[in-house]
Amino acid sequence: MDREVALVTGIAGGLAGQVAHALHDRGYHVVGVDYRALPSASALPEGTTLVRAHYNKTGIEDVFRRHRPSLVLHLGRVGNLKEQLEKRFELNVIGGQKITALCLKYGVRRLVVLSTFHIYGADPMNHTPISEDDPLRAGTEFPEIADAIQLDNHAVNTLYRYPQMQTVVLRPCNVVGPGIQNAMSRFLRQPRVPVMMGFDPMVQLVHERDLISAILAVAGGTAIGVFNVAGKSALPWSAVVDMTGAGRVPVPSSVAFAYLRVASLFTSTLPPYLVNFIKHPCVISDEAFRRTFGWAPQVDEVETVRSTVGG
Amino acid sequence: MLKTLAAILPDDPVVEHAVDSLELERNALGYDAWGFHAEHCKGAAKLAHYIYRYFRPRIHGIENLPPGRVLVVPNHSGQLPFDGLVVATACMLEAKPPRLVRGMAERWFSTLPYVSEVFARSGSVLGDPVNCRNLLEADNAILVFPEGARGSGKTWDRRYQLQPFGRGFMRLALETHTPVVPVAVVGAEESILSVHDAKLLSKLFGTPYWPVPPHLPMVGLLAYLPLPTRFHVTFGEPMHFEGRWDDEDQAIDEKVRLVMDRVQGMVDEGLRRRKSVFA
Repeated sequence: MDREVALVTGIAGGLAGQVAHALHDRGYHVVGVDYRALPSASALPEGTTLVRAHYNKTGIEDVFRRHRPSLVLHLGRVGNLKEQLEKRFELNVIGGQKITALCLKYGVRRLVVLSTFHIYGADPMNHTPISEDDPLRAGTEFPEIADAIQLDNHAVNTLYRYPQMQTVVLRPCNVVGPGIQNAMSRFLRQPRVPVMMGFDPMVQLVHERDLISAILAVAGGTAIGVFNVAGKSALPWSAVVDMTGAGRVPVPSSVAFAYLRVASLFTSTLPPYLVNFIKHPCVISDEAFRRTFGWAPQVDEVETVRSTVGG
Repeated sequence: MLKTLAAILPDDPVVEHAVDSLELERNALGYDAWGFHAEHCKGAAKLAHYIYRYFRPRIHGIENLPPGRVLVVPNHSGQLPFDGLVVATACMLEAKPPRLVRGMAERWFSTLPYVSEVFARSGSVLGDPVNCRNLLEADNAILVFPEGARGSGKTWDRRYQLQPFGRGFMRLALETHTPVVPVAVVGAEESILSVHDAKLLSKLFGTPYWPVPPHLPMVGLLAYLPLPTRFHVTFGEPMHFEGRWDDEDQAIDEKVRLVMDRVQGMVDEGLRRRKSVFA
């Protein structure tokens, strides 16, 4: 009997690679797609099909037609500001739409879209904790996050408009871990980590292992919906920095914003909106997710931070 | 910052014992989701204890504070929120077991550097209805002044006359099945006197009111230092309410009226019993 096919986007990323291994172990034939240079086949489970394709070009349709996946994990949201706004819009918004349209066209049974809690925005007016029904404030201050909001909105629309396909949207908090190369993980690995003078909000980190187990719980389940995914518990940013073993550098937030606005023009660095997440609280509740999928994070706060920085 | 303050201030075994015995849900590192932490809170609580002793409060009926979720509803007076500080400190130091009564901070506070941090670590949270509901559902005690700035900013001619209560606390009490403990604070009204609300200044500085003490021309800014009046704080028996939280305003108003009348009655009784403002 043919194995079920799972299509995983963002396969060049640390998270998707590990998800591919876990899916392979569960008997899936994994098809990995990325618009970036593909990882070496040896890093992925045997028999994995790798395809380099833009999510918004015809190449992605060929993948669906040839491999007929029953499960699609869209983990390939581009969060990196190194990519120009226009390119991120194409990949995230148009690409996201294309992938959902293809999922519907080719009768995909289950679609999982990895969104982010950044779309809630960190704001002094945030209550605690934030649930899935709360407004997405991030765009008011940082229009450059509009593509992430649209990707999420489109996925949520799909979830309710097309009941023939089981759609799940996950909004995890900051994902970190030894295999993760996103802005927050890189930020924590610096020799000195900034803290905003006069502000020390509660932050949440989820370890890659826990997020992978969350994605697998969703992949193997039948429930649908939009769910926050948080780690063990919230900690003040200063306590997180102390755990990394790096020195704290107190910086006025206005200086940090100005620096990142300028720096982001030249280099791949921390997106300026992330500064808000170490200045104001954005604590999410994942109670609905835990209840629906019987999931619970396993990696404690200290190990989450230490394993990320290699301590 | 508060941890440093806790280390600088002399030992205060009463505060330390009270804070250590608070029964609150916390993570492995001692924080709750809103940012409260016992070691930091001790700094704020030690400082509060000094102010508490300055007003030499007489506390009555603290045993009326029920375990679990509760809305503590006092009258509001005295220009600066010393009444809130004294009520919260009484619940921390005199209640058995000690209770952390969470203050609901003005939205403005959470935008201020350092202040927002101090508030969060010592247990106050942003005054948002969703925060309030989440805290009550987690069985916390919350301090609410339904009179708001109308109460604290009132002038001498209206002393000890309760200003109209808002409806928000009653809708929350009904929605979360939370008992309301009425509280009367007598003595705060005379701590900072105000004979006039300087609207121009309050508009200029973005504050809800700007009190003008009668002795301002004589002593200048010293007039804003609170006088060492004695506070008398009475906790009434818990009031339980039933009904729809989303009922018409009129139906909610009837229930609000019961709380207001109870608080006013306790305030009047406290005034009758009081022999002098300072004794």
